[in-house]
Amino acid sequence: MGSSAQISASKAFTLHLLCALGFAAAWAVACDVFSWTLVAHPALVLRLLFSVHAPFVIVVYSMLRREPEHCPFWKAVGRGLLAIPVGALLNAFGAIVLGAPVGTSYLPKTIYWSLLMSLFTFVPAACVVGSSRTGWQSFLLANSRPIEELDCMIILPAYGAIIGSWFGAWPMPLDWERPWQEWPICVTYGAVIGYLMGMLVLTPAFILGIKRKARVKGD
Amino acid sequence: MASSMSCARLASWTLAALILQILGLSLFGIGFFPVKPSLPGISGLESYRVPSCDAEVNAEAVDLPPDQLKSLYRDLSKMPPTFDRLVLMVIDGLPAEFILGRGDSHPSKAMMEAMPYTQSLLLKREAIAYHAKAAPPTVTMPRLKAMVSGAIGGFLDVAFNFNTQAFLDDNLLDQLYRIGWKLVMLGDNTWIKLFPGLFSRQDGVSSFFVKDTVEVDYNVTRHLEAELAANDWSLLILHYLGLDHVGHIGGRQSKLMAPKLNEMDEVIKTIHTRLAQEQDNVDKRTLLVVVSDHGMTNGGNHGGSTYEETDSLALFIGIGPRYPLYAPNEHDEVFQVDIAPTLALLFGVPIPKNNIGVLLLEIFHTLTDEQKLRALELNSWQLLRLLQAHIWDLCCGDFVCGINDGVDLVINGSFENDKEKFTHLFSRAIGAHNKWKVHQDSRFSNTDDVSVAIASYYDFLGNASEWLSHRATDRPINLLVSGICIMLISCILLVSLSICFIKKVYFTPNKSYYLVKKHVGCWYLHESFVFLGIFTHVISLGASSLVEEEQYTWHYLTCSLYLIFLFTTVQSLIRGQTSDSVKGEEQYIFDQSQRSDARDITWFMDLKSYQRKNICNFNQISSIIIVLICGRVLRGWHQGGVNWVHLPDISKWIELSGAFTINYLHITSLLLILVVSSFALFLSRSRRKLVFIIFCSYLACGYLVFLYAMKYQGHNVVAMDHSATSIAQMFYVAVAIVVILIPLVTPWMVPVHYQERKWMTKLNSNSKSLDVRMNFPLFDGIWDSTYIIGVTYCVCWCLLQLVLQQQINAIPVFLLFLQLLASMIYFSTDESDHRQWIKVAAIYFLGMSGHFGLGNSNSLATVDVAGAFIGISSHSTILSGILMFSITYASSILSFLSLIMCTFVKDIGYLSSQRMSELGCIFQMIIALPCLIPLTLNSIVLTTSTIILLFMRNHLFIWSVFSPKYLYVCAATLSVYIGVCIIAITGIYTCAVVFYRTKMLQERAHSS
Repeated sequence: MGSSAQISASKAFTLHLLCALGFAAAWAVACDVFSWTLVAHPALVLRLLFSVHAPFVIVVYSMLRREPEHCPFWKAVGRGLLAIPVGALLNAFGAIVLGAPVGTSYLPKTIYWSLLMSLFTFVPAACVVGSSRTGWQSFLLANSRPIEELDCMIILPAYGAIIGSWFGAWPMPLDWERPWQEWPICVTYGAVIGYLMGMLVLTPAFILGIKRKARVKGD
Repeated sequence: MASSMSCARLASWTLAALILQILGLSLFGIGFFPVKPSLPGISGLESYRVPSCDAEVNAEAVDLPPDQLKSLYRDLSKMPPTFDRLVLMVIDGLPAEFILGRGDSHPSKAMMEAMPYTQSLLLKREAIAYHAKAAPPTVTMPRLKAMVSGAIGGFLDVAFNFNTQAFLDDNLLDQLYRIGWKLVMLGDNTWIKLFPGLFSRQDGVSSFFVKDTVEVDYNVTRHLEAELAANDWSLLILHYLGLDHVGHIGGRQSKLMAPKLNEMDEVIKTIHTRLAQEQDNVDKRTLLVVVSDHGMTNGGNHGGSTYEETDSLALFIGIGPRYPLYAPNEHDEVFQVDIAPTLALLFGVPIPKNNIGVLLLEIFHTLTDEQKLRALELNSWQLLRLLQAHIWDLCCGDFVCGINDGVDLVINGSFENDKEKFTHLFSRAIGAHNKWKVHQDSRFSNTDDVSVAIASYYDFLGNASEWLSHRATDRPINLLVSGICIMLISCILLVSLSICFIKKVYFTPNKSYYLVKKHVGCWYLHESFVFLGIFTHVISLGASSLVEEEQYTWHYLTCSLYLIFLFTTVQSLIRGQTSDSVKGEEQYIFDQSQRSDARDITWFMDLKSYQRKNICNFNQISSIIIVLICGRVLRGWHQGGVNWVHLPDISKWIELSGAFTINYLHITSLLLILVVSSFALFLSRSRRKLVFIIFCSYLACGYLVFLYAMKYQGHNVVAMDHSATSIAQMFYVAVAIVVILIPLVTPWMVPVHYQERKWMTKLNSNSKSLDVRMNFPLFDGIWDSTYIIGVTYCVCWCLLQLVLQQQINAIPVFLLFLQLLASMIYFSTDESDHRQWIKVAAIYFLGMSGHFGLGNSNSLATVDVAGAFIGISSHSTILSGILMFSITYASSILSFLSLIMCTFVKDIGYLSSQRMSELGCIFQMIIALPCLIPLTLNSIVLTTSTIILLFMRNHLFIWSVFSPKYLYVCAATLSVYIGVCIIAITGIYTCAVVFYRTKMLQERAHSS
């Protein structure tokens, strides 16, 4: 497959840490500089998180693009930018079908949430493989074939974010009457937790596992 | 076991599991919903004596003539009756909020204006009103029982609500009858069923014609003048049902509400002015009591335990001195059961034995302090007797010390047990009373003493009443546990049967390597999600708020499952697009060589139809998206549940736009259902003529629905339309004919073949043909006929629902139908990729989320009573019960019916050809999966909710949340049984007929 498939666990971890730090920085800016909280100003915080996190994700994953000799950096960045609205649409569709409210008052929240989710799930893959069919195949069919290090780096955070937000929605119908039970606050919490888990814990673990397997096979 | 499991064994094991389930369920039901233990007998003279430890004998008073009994009571009670006659006016379903307002706010202006006379009485303090909290279940009969006996009945009274039986417990009416009162009853005939033979004059009206809001009340009011003129009665009961019917039809905000309240106000005015004229007559001092049996939700339903439903009214209108100032909204709530002891003491009869109510002291404002304290004392004695029945060693000997210690008893704050607490409270009250008596005798009168005594009496009474009403009745734990164990065994049996069966289909040894390998990896995702979904749903049954909002759980799980289907379809699309490399071809040829010879044609055809695969995939994707979008609309249609009912939803929005739109949507939905059904029908590859005839029968039924919809212009039409009833009856007959004839005839009409046909002929224009398995001629015929029968069932059921459901639910019925059809198309174009049981589970999920999409919830209040009387010209409990059940479980049953039209076991290659000719094997193929999976899933839910009910039996919400949910689960079990029965009978009949015809053809071919 791609030439940049060989990535060490430490490199993957560093890159992911960079993304996560960018995210944390955005969070800190929202909390400390603007004194916004996700519970009180969900739309504003989500917008800030999106706009700060987007350059990090696009730059990091564009560096990891497949076949870098054929595909210049700016092209990968362009693919990433293009992928943002597409991924947002897909995520918004999923969220609304699963029951996200559709009222006009919820519209900005849903939009910014799905933009952020697009960064978590769709944009990295688009930056790396673009419109290559085989590339997408390796992501979408990941549960039926062996995966590589780069696949790990893309799949695990994305699946983490999706599964996290799926579980994050469960407290919503409870009658605790907490403000964070509103859409999309607890879903965002779930997504962020799942995303960070996928990036910082699962990816290094998986990559180490792959390396070990390769070593065993080599022996 | 798996490989040797024959059809007969499978069936008998399943039946055994079902019988065990029913047995366990009934054991648990008997244990969990007991008739509350109550004191036997009727209160007599002993109620005027101090309770003692010995078994009390009260044979002395039983045979006294009424007059002597009356005077004896008067002498013993030491308090003369305040009134001589009682007019009890029951306004069914009137929330106290309409008259008293809620919290700090007054009732809305419209409400104030609707009842001017009552409001003026309250303002002049000639009347006194309370928010009398009713206990759940808030339906009429248990509430009437509570009002007259002061006892809260068992939960299952709801079940008997439509099957009223004579009330045998001690109650106010019997007591009054025994002292020679003459009783007259006008209104709801529940009273007549409860107290047969008690009334000297009666005119019962039935509460079954819920759509009638005028006649029911007119039938009561027309007697009023005559009765008020007649002097012979002592108790006049008027039970007005109209307001409840208005609520059922249009909710609290109905346009008919204000006129109805005004009518009630006029009745109150008539009675009150008439009684005021007779004020001077000493023997005819009359009390007018206006009560309501329960409130209503905003939608006008009742049955649950929300504030809106339990907020019933108790309004006392006396003639005479003004009532003390009483602000009902600022006081602690009083209870509906308090009416019984209050009335008993006012009219000088013993308080009914099982009363748990506490008298309302404000009504006794004309009495002296001594008499007031005496009344409290009598009430306390009665409650103490009842407490003694619950706490065995609570003995009156303990109270002697209390009398001496008086009020100076040290209050420890906490008591070791209930016994000590009640002993202490009671002796304190008695002590305070005695202190007052002593001071009274020594002329050292002190108003403080009175208030102390009253307060300490109320302390005891309030605590005792609360304890008695909240006390969890003793449930025989052995019975419960054994019931649960039996259900658990049956559940395990069903689960293992399903697992065995599924394993048998997919992992038989002669299975080709290809399929086994394929099933190990990739399709793991749905299965694990279905397991996860069942698990989370079962867990969520333990959280009261998730039970209340179960619609979110089901919608979420169903949509997630279909999103996973979407994902896997996209996966297979991507896989398909790349496998047109040489590698892919090789894979196919490899597969093919692995196959047994009988299946060559199939796989060759598969290779040929390979180009179609992409189209197929797009078809699949679009049908899943249809399912998802319909599901989202259904979810938004009714804002169900409990906590967020008030939020806007589509149905409220449409209702705002008026009756015309609703009617229009009703007819649109009818047309859409017919169009979609014709599409579904013509997908079948059966004879055109047959299909056309069947479609005409749909059209005929649809036309009757159309006529009905035109006649029946919304719920707000006041009078019952008899032509609408007759059209509905005609429709029932037509549907019954269609539903019986088509399944009987179709298997004889579909083309059957005794030879393997060439696959070429089958590649017809329909891309959705159900066609992977056409080299099995027998199955071809069976599938054709089950498909047609399934479509017929579904269409007829949908049309029936269009008649029965509220008009606002017409579009959801169509959406459900569309969802099921789209799933069917998706599943049948899907080339045996999913494990088949997932499909059954998915349809079961759709049925469950649709159940909530039709506006049902886990509160008894959402059961649609109004629809249960459509097309019934005379009152029949059974018929309306059936209609009510079919309205409530419309969606689940529709999903089971649609299981008939889906074909599940397409991959029959593992059956050797000689086994193919066994009838039993065919049955197993056709009906085992769609029967076994719903039974298993339902059994899991039933068993877990039983266990949860056992653990939650002391939970605060046991009667308001968990028990209603359990009733729903039991009813859902019944719906599963019905659905499975229909599937099984249809499947067996069709298989047998087609099998017989094929055999005949074969014999004829051989002989010629």
